[in-house]
Amino acid sequence: MPSNPVSARPVSTYVSGRRTRLYSILGLSAALIAVVALATSVGSVKIPPPTTFRILLDGLPFVDIAPTWPGAIATVVLDIRLPRVILAGLVGAALATAGATYQGLFRNPLADPYLIGVAQGASLGAIVGFLLPVSSPNPVLGFGIIPLLAFVGALLATAAVYALARVGKTLPVTTLILAGVALGALLGSIVSYLIISSGEVMHGIIFWLMGSFSLSQWSEIGIVLPYVAVGTGVIIVFARLLNVMQLDEEQAQQLGVNVERLKLVLLAAATLITAASVSFVGTIGFVGIIIPHAVRLIWGADHRFLLPLAVLTGAIFMILTDLVARTVLAPTEIPIGVITAICGAPFFLYLLRRRKKVIF
Amino acid sequence: MIKLEMQGVTLGYNRHPVLEDISLRASPGELVGLIGPNGSGKSTVIKALSHVISPVSGRILIGGRDIKSTPRRELACQVGVVPQMPLLPSTFTAFEIVLMGRNPHLGLFQSEGPRDWAIAREAMEKTGTTPLANRRVNELSGGEIQCLMIARVLVQETKAILLDEPTANLDIGRQVEILDLIRRLCTEKKLSVLAAVHDLNLAAQYCDRLLLINERRIHAEGTPAEVITDRIIKEVYGAENCVYTHPVNGLPTVILSAARHKTSKEKA
Repeated sequence: MPSNPVSARPVSTYVSGRRTRLYSILGLSAALIAVVALATSVGSVKIPPPTTFRILLDGLPFVDIAPTWPGAIATVVLDIRLPRVILAGLVGAALATAGATYQGLFRNPLADPYLIGVAQGASLGAIVGFLLPVSSPNPVLGFGIIPLLAFVGALLATAAVYALARVGKTLPVTTLILAGVALGALLGSIVSYLIISSGEVMHGIIFWLMGSFSLSQWSEIGIVLPYVAVGTGVIIVFARLLNVMQLDEEQAQQLGVNVERLKLVLLAAATLITAASVSFVGTIGFVGIIIPHAVRLIWGADHRFLLPLAVLTGAIFMILTDLVARTVLAPTEIPIGVITAICGAPFFLYLLRRRKKVIF
Repeated sequence: MIKLEMQGVTLGYNRHPVLEDISLRASPGELVGLIGPNGSGKSTVIKALSHVISPVSGRILIGGRDIKSTPRRELACQVGVVPQMPLLPSTFTAFEIVLMGRNPHLGLFQSEGPRDWAIAREAMEKTGTTPLANRRVNELSGGEIQCLMIARVLVQETKAILLDEPTANLDIGRQVEILDLIRRLCTEKKLSVLAAVHDLNLAAQYCDRLLLINERRIHAEGTPAEVITDRIIKEVYGAENCVYTHPVNGLPTVILSAARHKTSKEKA
């Protein structure tokens, strides 16, 4: 067998590969900050990026910059645009992380965050919210009844799939996927029926289903952030075990992984961050399946790097697509789900063709 | 040093018994061969000893401790497994796969460091897999993957090793190389080794003791000379008069003849 000099030094090649990915994480973090500044500058009122940047810095604790801008500008940046940008980033990060987790856990490249019923459950919950004669937003909750019901619907649907798929003390992955697809189809048809019989709220429902960040507020970030931060943190802690799970379950057990407990923890974490995200912004597609694949194509399959890189790439991608969605046809907003696929699919197909190696 | 033991163990899938009332042990420094026809349950024994399946009845002891009460990570620090024809994720490099052997030694918040990398590099050198290190595993042959699995189990640094057909995909040169390595480690590091072996000649050459399983039970047990005899081989495999003596080391050797070439010994 021809051995090349690089292969003769397995450790140094491996370590330099790790270093490259570490620098990529740092580079993407810087890019994320730049994208936040850019996205808060663009809108119906044009604000120069340097000014936006100073307003954002001034908004940070312990930073005080003498204002050279009118107060109204600061309000636009801090109370209208910034929450929208941050929520988009959070949701993008959450969906990309959940997608990477499901793909890894199920060892299935077609897995996305909605594979086991989250989206259909959330949609059904949201539609029930639209149809209920309750005023929105609810003064007690501080936000509408729709996100609450969507969240409950998502969790109930996933719990049902989980209970249906359980065989004795184990949770076979194929059974889980099949139960998810079947229950998803059932809920999906109920959703379709409710949509056509929903009358005057039909437009609202369809707009919700396609996803939008147009109603973003700081209070929503306060609710979504804890779920996404804790859930993503838990998943990243288990990243090394998720690598071992890429072998079959038997080998993972023989390498010391408590496979059933790992499945339970990761499913719960990924489901919670997905449910928290879609409850407020609707079931945005494409991000959860494509971002993890793009990251894997560029940086490899080690989940200890794949997951943080997916968080950053998902956040940047979602902020940029939301920027396109609200500016291209301004003042009309395009549903975000339309933009994610239009912008993302060609880029992904380009990656797919450029790399000739096996991707999953 | 730890001893592997099964005491009156019945194993089965969905209450359908594959093996009944099996008792066996492998002691430190001992290489025990598990032989038997296809489907006799050799792999099932290995799954039970690594706690992938639980016994229907009986006790499995690893170093004197019941396997049921041993946490999985601790068990994986004591018992390593070389699987038969494993499925490996195509996107990982050979080095990454070998490094996964360190998993049981790392806590949840730990990651492999220079010491673990050095252990992996050394294991790859021992198994002749260093040139493969940065190749993706989907580019490797069955034999190369088999060698990687041996490297991974060395990286796991366990006191006991279970091997399921470790030489199934190897050419004869590699078979001898890998079994010599396992034999040497077993003796030098006082490992308890249990290997399911399909090839009776390799089993006779390398194992201290053989366990022949057939029809849910241990059919014969003892040194290769005690187990591989004309009578026992005929009882279990139906092949007649095929055991000879190795011309150099005197161990039993199975030599088959096609019916059209039967000689006087076989006709006798």
